[in-house]
Amino acid sequence: MERYDIAIIGTGPAGLSAAITAKVRNKKILLIGSALSSDKVVKAHTIQNYLGLPSVSGADLGAAFINHIKEMDIKITEDKVTLIYPMGEYFAMQAAGGNYEADAVILATGVTAGKPYPGEEEFLGRGVSYCATCDAALYKGANVAIIGFSQKEEAEVDFMTEYAAHVTYFPMYKEEVHVKDGVKVLYEKPESISGTGFKADTLKTKENTYSFDGIFILRDSVSPKQLVPGLEMDGSHVKVARDLSTNVPGCFACGDIAGKPYQYIKSAGEGNVAALSAVSYLDEKRRARSNI
Amino acid sequence: MAVITITESNFEQEVLKSDKPVLVDFWASWCGPCKMLSPVVDEIAEATPSIKVGKVNVDEEGGLAQQFKVMSIPTLIFFKDGKVANQTIGVQPKAVIEQMINS
Repeated sequence: MERYDIAIIGTGPAGLSAAITAKVRNKKILLIGSALSSDKVVKAHTIQNYLGLPSVSGADLGAAFINHIKEMDIKITEDKVTLIYPMGEYFAMQAAGGNYEADAVILATGVTAGKPYPGEEEFLGRGVSYCATCDAALYKGANVAIIGFSQKEEAEVDFMTEYAAHVTYFPMYKEEVHVKDGVKVLYEKPESISGTGFKADTLKTKENTYSFDGIFILRDSVSPKQLVPGLEMDGSHVKVARDLSTNVPGCFACGDIAGKPYQYIKSAGEGNVAALSAVSYLDEKRRARSNI
Repeated sequence: MAVITITESNFEQEVLKSDKPVLVDFWASWCGPCKMLSPVVDEIAEATPSIKVGKVNVDEEGGLAQQFKVMSIPTLIFFKDGKVANQTIGVQPKAVIEQMINS
């Protein structure tokens, strides 16, 4: 498999800025995210404190970012990374569109809006799951709930019907729902998950309380802790040092995911720092290797 | 040591009656995270002659998965003297797995 020097996840100001600096330093980079920069940028009304661009609209700022990226001949890979696993010498990444490998990783995915439900993390792997395709077969003949945060999860719902006896779907989006006949669709807002002893068995919504054998939660973005196993957090942010390194060697974080304040220019600045730190990490690694 | 395939028919012999502790990886072919974890489990098998390492395909061995209440894969269960000594759910860093088999 093709091995990149640095994989950069996210195309907001932090990720794009990291990509530009890494490119200037002649690294082989993989930049993954939306080709139009982040929604948080392009949907902003006006930004008044971005250096050199007084009173710029989010749409114009986003377009300027993308022009810069194009001028530097940097490609954006539109994909969604679901797991980044430190293999020791490198990182293996699993994405919707395939697998990737890189020597260093920069996380610039922004802050995840979705907070876990009470009980969700406690019962993860014990009745609560984030991967329907992985765990469907373990729920043969069971009564299963799926909470889906976007239309594309409907395929997972249909897949689940091949195993579970009863599937109840809670769509958390406004678009019309198309799932197989037999799936019970409930337009209720889940509030908490609870269980008895070892296993989760109850889902409470605003309106009712239901019993299930398994509860699947399919969100658009996974939390950093789920994305990189072993990653240390500081509240809802990734814990970083001054050089934006994390507790996982070779993994750096920048922008909103690394902490407040949530400002575009702070994110862009941090992208630069994270890229330079990643470059130093690669240099040191190469030196250590040649000394063996 | 080579990784062995554990089935319901050899489970008692290979795991419960094993003279060495056994690390068992519950996986399935369609499970992406399992594929990420698998080479690391292989590396540990290679580097740790003091233990035995086995894999259970939950698709073929649903009974074993049920018996050990495996509800999410990948799940790793570490057996010592025929008993569950420790277990991890989901993809774990190599260091966490090493800690589990050394503690």
